Formats: sequence, structure tokens, C-alpha cells
Amino acid sequence: MVALLALTVVGFAAGALGEVLLSNLDIPDWMRVERPEPHLPGTALFYIGPFPFTNTFLATLITILVVSLIAILATRKMKMIPGRFQSAFELVIGYVLGLCEDIAGKKLGRVFFPVVCTIFLFVMFNALLALIPGYGSVVVTTVDGVHTELLRGANTDINFPLSLAIVAFVMIEYWGISRTGFFRYMGKFFVFTGFAHAFKDIFSGKIGKGLKALPMAFIEFFVGILEFLSELVRLVSFTFRLFGNMTGGEILLVMMMYLMPYVLAIPFYGLELLMAFIQALIFGGLTLTFAYIATLPPHGADEKGEAH
Amino acid sequence: MEALGINLPLLIAQIVCFGGLLAILWRFAYKPVMNMLDARSEKIEESLAAGEIVVQQAREAEIAYKEKIKEAAAQSQIIIDRASKTGEEIRLKAIEEAKEEAAIVVSRAREEITREKEETISALRKEYADLVALAASKVIGKSLDKKAHEALIDDVLAESISLRKN
Repeated sequence: MVALLALTVVGFAAGALGEVLLSNLDIPDWMRVERPEPHLPGTALFYIGPFPFTNTFLATLITILVVSLIAILATRKMKMIPGRFQSAFELVIGYVLGLCEDIAGKKLGRVFFPVVCTIFLFVMFNALLALIPGYGSVVVTTVDGVHTELLRGANTDINFPLSLAIVAFVMIEYWGISRTGFFRYMGKFFVFTGFAHAFKDIFSGKIGKGLKALPMAFIEFFVGILEFLSELVRLVSFTFRLFGNMTGGEILLVMMMYLMPYVLAIPFYGLELLMAFIQALIFGGLTLTFAYIATLPPHGADEKGEAH
Repeated sequence: MEALGINLPLLIAQIVCFGGLLAILWRFAYKPVMNMLDARSEKIEESLAAGEIVVQQAREAEIAYKEKIKEAAAQSQIIIDRASKTGEEIRLKAIEEAKEEAAIVVSRAREEITREKEETISALRKEYADLVALAASKVIGKSLDKKAHEALIDDVLAESISLRKN
């Protein structure tokens, strides 16, 4: 307890805030935390042809390794009455499966489930692994001669959220088209039915009625175009929601460690732990919801808008 | 785009990674876990149904058991009733028989007594007649002929009976 308190005080004094406020204190250099220089793109460790093998990509591979290992170990000897490890793993998988089945129904939910659950696990483990102490501490010199961390959370490299967003986007459109049919699905976005009805009325003699329907047809068409745009904007919103939250979280942690090292930065770790789960849930959940909406027949319920 | 660090090869690599992870998880996580979850819920459903049946059976068995006990009690009551009735009958019959036997014995004894009495009386009478005859012959000194003799005896007897009665 005393040690913790002492560490709190020393940490505060050694940090940047302490340096400013208590400039007359003489803190040894090794206790000082270096001023962080956050930068957005992942740093290439080396190149394979045109492909930059970045520290974030290495982190991705490690995440895949860890998640796969957990999955294989948990399901290696499946038992009807599970042990603790199997129970915990089944709890996580069952949680996402339950979410899918609750939202999209039993049959459709199972169609969406693999992609949703992979997104959930991938994002969450990327974020959680990045929080392990020492994860970003190993510094190497790259082929470009830059000093950089060997590992950096993949969520903080825009390529990763973007790749997930592309996968989600493609899968959502695929499910939408395969479930409702290409023309019916596209009919959600390019609404000509209003015009068709209006012109039919005009040419069949009911000019007044047709002319009155024309403005409504314009509005419907315009709403369809907006829908189409919102579909595309989703790609961007998906990407930057995750990228922004995770990069922001990372920078927050680094800055807190710089300003008030050791003990006082700990609450922010808790915050980031929570964030890992929440962002994974949001990404997976939104994919699920959009997928479900895409499979609804057009002109069913009025489904628009995107949660942020 | 440069500042954000979007890089096409890296992007493609990440998508491939996602696909790879999806495949691995499909093989090692989703399929077995989903199968297991389904199998388990199926089993639980089955067990619940089976349990329901067992409970039902137990309830039925209990009812049947109670019914049996009730029946047995009724049966035993009947048996007891019958037995006691039989016992009573036997007792009454025995008493009856005893009474009859006693009556027979008594009546036989009475008959015997009567017979013996009569025998005694007739023997006495005979002796008495002989005695009277002897005495009379002695008194009269002469022997009466048989006919007179007997008439005389009857007279005496009648006299003696009337005497006895008085």
C-alpha cells in the first residue's frame, strides 16, 4: 500500500506534469518517460516486394495466432459437460450467436454469425492484446532506419478497420442481393416506381392525378439516392469509428503515461479494456443489423439511419 | 490518403487475414461450438421431457400404489369380516350341537331311567304277586285255581295301588 502510494507520487513527479509543476525536483533520467510521438500509419519493418510488412501487420498475425490457438485448445476435446476453459469459450461464442439469432432470427442469424463473430473476436483481441504491458515496448530499427515499436495494435492502422469495413460492406450487399434478388435490392436505391405510376396516369388521361403524383415521385427518387449514399458512407463510418476510437485510446494511454506515469495512468487502462469490448460489439453488432436490414424486402418497414 | 497510411497491398493482406481467421474459426470454433450448443440444448430438452415422463410415471405409480393399498385394506376387511362371521357361525353351531347332544344324552338317560323304573316296578310287582300268592295260599291254606288266583291278585293289586296313592 505504501509502495503503491510512493509509486503514485514518484510517478506523478517523474511525469511531464510533475516536471512542469515541480521543476526543482531532481528525478533520475531513467525514470523519465520519453515524450511520445504518435503517428498514424503503421511503420514498415521490412518490405516484401511492394508489400510493406508493418508492425501493425505483425500484430494482426499475432492476434490471428492467439485467437486460433484459443479456439483450437478450447474445442480440442469438447465435452457435453464443459470444463472451465471450454465453458468460457462457449460463453463468448454463444453470446455472439445469441445476439445474431435475437436480431436476425434463428435461420438468418446463423448465416450472419460467422462473419459477425469473426469481426467481434478479431477487433476485441486486437485491442486487448495491444493493452498487454510490454506489447508496444520492444523497439527495433527498421530497414528504413526508423526506430519504432515492433508491435502496434492493428486497430490503430487504418488498413485494418478499412479491410473489416470492406468485408462487412461486401458481405452485407451480398446477403441483401442474394436474399431479395438483384433488381428488387437495387430498387431500394433507384426508385423509379413513382415516376412510372405518374406517367402511366398522365398518358392514360388522368393528367391531374399524374401531375400531382410527380413531386412525390421526385422525393422518393431522391430518398433512394440518399439511401444509396448512406450505404457507401457506411464504409467510411465503419472504418473511422473503429480507427478513431482505437487510435485515440492508444494515444490517450501514451499521453497519460507521459504526463503521469505508473499508477495514475491505470484507470485509463480500465477504460481501454472496456473500449476494446464496446468497439468490437459495435462493429459486429452494426454489421449484423445492417445485414438484417439489407435482407428485408424493400418497402417493408421503414429502416434507415445509422447508430454511431 | 498518404497521411492516414492507406496502402493497397496491406489492405488486401488484411482482408486475406480476415478470411484466414474466419476459416480457422469456422473449422475450430463455430462449427464445433454450434454443434455442441445445439446438441446440449437438444439433450436438455430431451432430459426435461424424460424427466417430465418420469415424474408422470411416478405420480401414476403412486396413485396406483395408493389404489392397491386401499383395495388391499378393503379386501382384508372383507376377509376379517368373513372370518369373524365364520367363527361366530362355528361357535353357534358348536353350541347348537352341544345342546343337541346334551338333549340327546338327557333324553336317553331319561329313557333309561324310565325303562329301569318300569323294569323295577314290573319286577317288584311280580315279586309282590308271588309274595301275595304265597301269603294267601298260606293264609287260605288252599290253592286256588289259576283263574281265581289271578282275579284275587288283581284285586289285591288294585287295593294296594289305591292304598299307595292315598
